[in-house]
Amino acid sequence: MKRPFHSLLPLVLSGAAFASGPGNPGEPGVEQGLALKAAKVLTVPVDGPQVVDNGVVLVHDGRIEAVGPAATTAIPKGWETIDLGERWLAPGMIDLHNHVAGGLRDLNDMVYLTNPGLRASTTITPRNSNVQRALGGGVTSVLLIPGSGTNVGGQGVLVKLGHHSYEEVEIRNPGSLKLAQAGNPERFLFGVGRSFMNWNTRNTFRRGVAYAKRWEAHEREGGEGPAVDPQFEVFRPLYTKQTQVSTHTQMYQVVMMTVLMIKQELGIDVYIDHGTFDGWRAAPLAEAAAVPAILGPRNISVPSRRMIDWTGSNPERIQGVAAGYQDMGHTMIGFNTDAPVLPSEELFFQASMGVRYGFRWDELQSVRGVTIVPALAAGIADRVGSLEAGKDADILIIGGDPVDPRSMVEAVLVDGVRVYDAGRDGQRF
Amino acid sequence: MSTHETLFATLAVTLLGSVAPADPAQPWTADDEPEESEKAPVEIEDYYFAVTGGDVHAAGGEVLRGATLLAKNGKITHIGYDVEIPGVDYFADMPQEDRNFVTETLDATGLRVYPGLVAISSSGLMGASGDFADTADPFHQNLVLALGGGITSTGASRGVVKLKRYVEHDPPRDYDFGGIVLGESTYVSLSWSGRSPSGKASLREKLTAAADYLRVYRQWEADVKKDKELEEPRKTGVDSSILAILKGEVRARFGADDRDDLLGIARLAQEFGFRPVIKGCREGWTVADELGRAGASAIITPRSRRDKNEDLVREGGSSIENAALLHAAGIPIVIEPQSGGVNLSGIVGRDILHLPVEAAFAVRGGLSEAAALDAITIEPARMMGIGHRVGSLAVGKDCDLIVTDGDVLHYQTFVQYAVVDGELVYDKEKELFYAHIRPRAQGEVAPPEKLDAGENPEEQEDEGDGGEDPGEEGEGEDSGDDGGDEEADEEEEGDEAEGDGGA
Repeated sequence: MKRPFHSLLPLVLSGAAFASGPGNPGEPGVEQGLALKAAKVLTVPVDGPQVVDNGVVLVHDGRIEAVGPAATTAIPKGWETIDLGERWLAPGMIDLHNHVAGGLRDLNDMVYLTNPGLRASTTITPRNSNVQRALGGGVTSVLLIPGSGTNVGGQGVLVKLGHHSYEEVEIRNPGSLKLAQAGNPERFLFGVGRSFMNWNTRNTFRRGVAYAKRWEAHEREGGEGPAVDPQFEVFRPLYTKQTQVSTHTQMYQVVMMTVLMIKQELGIDVYIDHGTFDGWRAAPLAEAAAVPAILGPRNISVPSRRMIDWTGSNPERIQGVAAGYQDMGHTMIGFNTDAPVLPSEELFFQASMGVRYGFRWDELQSVRGVTIVPALAAGIADRVGSLEAGKDADILIIGGDPVDPRSMVEAVLVDGVRVYDAGRDGQRF
Repeated sequence: MSTHETLFATLAVTLLGSVAPADPAQPWTADDEPEESEKAPVEIEDYYFAVTGGDVHAAGGEVLRGATLLAKNGKITHIGYDVEIPGVDYFADMPQEDRNFVTETLDATGLRVYPGLVAISSSGLMGASGDFADTADPFHQNLVLALGGGITSTGASRGVVKLKRYVEHDPPRDYDFGGIVLGESTYVSLSWSGRSPSGKASLREKLTAAADYLRVYRQWEADVKKDKELEEPRKTGVDSSILAILKGEVRARFGADDRDDLLGIARLAQEFGFRPVIKGCREGWTVADELGRAGASAIITPRSRRDKNEDLVREGGSSIENAALLHAAGIPIVIEPQSGGVNLSGIVGRDILHLPVEAAFAVRGGLSEAAALDAITIEPARMMGIGHRVGSLAVGKDCDLIVTDGDVLHYQTFVQYAVVDGELVYDKEKELFYAHIRPRAQGEVAPPEKLDAGENPEEQEDEGDGGEDPGEEGEGEDSGDDGGDEEADEEEEGDEAEGDGGA
């Protein structure tokens, strides 16, 4: 009755190559490397072929040393080789809208309507139960961000899952500045409207950019430095494009406002996060401005005759959100969960449902949408998001199509460390 | 009430009135057009419905590739390869006015034919509440959506119903809305929870009283044959629904997740001799053997999450392997989604429209694909006492089926057609909701056609022959544990999508 992996995996993965404890092949600081052979390797680089059939991935010192067909890729002498048979390899998935990698109740401090100084990084809780389960769903990197109770909830932090300490998990801090363009901040205090929210957000951002410019001038020209203002420090990496604005932005007009205000007017890199409803109508504008669209947790938009002006341009049909962006010509479409609204481990399922409701995946856009696309959006594609030489060894060993709910994640490597193994740890998801 | 609603309601009433003639057996043209027909038209006695060319997933797990399924008056009469369809394979040249039958065929070449899915419970699918027959609306939007989700039967507030949508026919047929109710409610809800010790004591008392009574009653049943004067024992103080459970007339249904409660229910069931249905059952995997020995059945939601109670010194909490482990212990598994209603607010994949998707998560946890399909078809049908009529495709059963464009457990698969009682009630291309998503390729799938006298019978015969041609080889087995072939299928689908994208 039990699936093969229950008997096979311990044999395969718990052998000498994958013996538990420190010093395993492929892990950081270990001279010996690890070679993983699999039926299919979904490499999903930015460009070029997306799949290697009968491939091998070489892992050394926590990084990928090489990826290629098993027939032509030489495995260095002394390295442990694990033949995973019919299994597939895929990059660890990346969720750019997560509230559960830290203290959930600490993420929505509604002090002012804009709070650019608050930091989600101060609440990080590595290996909490949500994180452990997320690994079972193949998620290896997340952007932990403040809530959307205010227009600017604070700074997100990009972290890996599976390690033990903050120092080990941090990818980049600040991972983003969280902007909630609309949708929840209306409830602030006695209620605010979009006109004021837009004015107030622009006010904060322009002051922040001015602050960053003063520091830039000081660093270039020397002299007496400007006074440090913790509220505006985040605008320095934003201004120099070392981080981005992640925007909770959903509806047509609101998405337009995001692109126009943040990207075009202020020149700050921004991506649509938590993209839902009919925001896809603004997709051509976002595409032209190179603003990626990370979508979820809502995957469909169903216009109601009672609620939406009936113009005939929007037939009464169930419109996939991702399909809408794609049909309007957007090319950088990814998915997020908004965990705990949807559980972190169901990140892949956002892509499944995107496909179900019309998102084309003929070029593996479904897998790209939870790997390389969010990596590019968050500016961390040099480290994660694809299986390529030089990148972090964040690798999923999986039964098949990573976007199919039936494909179980059998094991997960993060930085070459086996942080999850269903055979060893019990199947978490 | 909006204009739309008013119009809709009026329309519904009008149509219902016009298509439910007082005497449906009366020929509809007999007196109207005497000059056109010299003899009275033959009365229609039989309605045939045939699905040809599809891969039929028949009862017991067999897949008949490119087979024909034939139904007569709503019941399946044939499934196989040498099935002759009246009006197609014989009587093809008979003029319509001489026929005492009507045949509809559905070409499912390249598609898959499954039994209609069975939802153990649902809410609002036909706008009904309370007394189903009096409040159900056969025009309700949710009914169309649910058929699009593959569901043809569901447990309702009181009883079990078919999603028999109103369909216009020419010539019109008798339309009996009351006929959609398949059965009365077949369970009694009971509670057994560690949070309510007094509730436990009360249930035990009722069970004891009913068991004592049943013993006396059985003795009386034996004795009264000898002595007709013996008085039947009085039922004073005996709960009639509990008595029905012990007699095996209805099943006891518990909502329980805690390991301790589950064990308590198992012990209770063995002590009093009944087979419990346990809804939730999230820690069931920790006590699967005990539940199996107690003859329990389970209604579960594979993705439902529950953290382990850290006071518990044994393993606990939810597990994605729950369905697989319970099934391995011999427990009949029924799968239900997190929400029994229709949710169009945007968060998809968790409501009644995504029943197969929920079953796919049980496969993730190790359940075989065959068992996962059973858990949304024949197992819920059996649990509701209608397994003899629906839930699988077999001769003699109701012709309730769905035709899909792929493996029903694949996330991308859509229901193309739904058939209830041998009538086509749903066609994806003809409804508003999903028609725009991966539309069926032109000519690839012929629309269902009614065979009238005016049609060219030869053309129809050709189609029938084509369906029997071999050429469906190369697809993976659907028997569950063959993951490699399933993946190969997905790759093929990807290639097709690429082709469409270029067009």
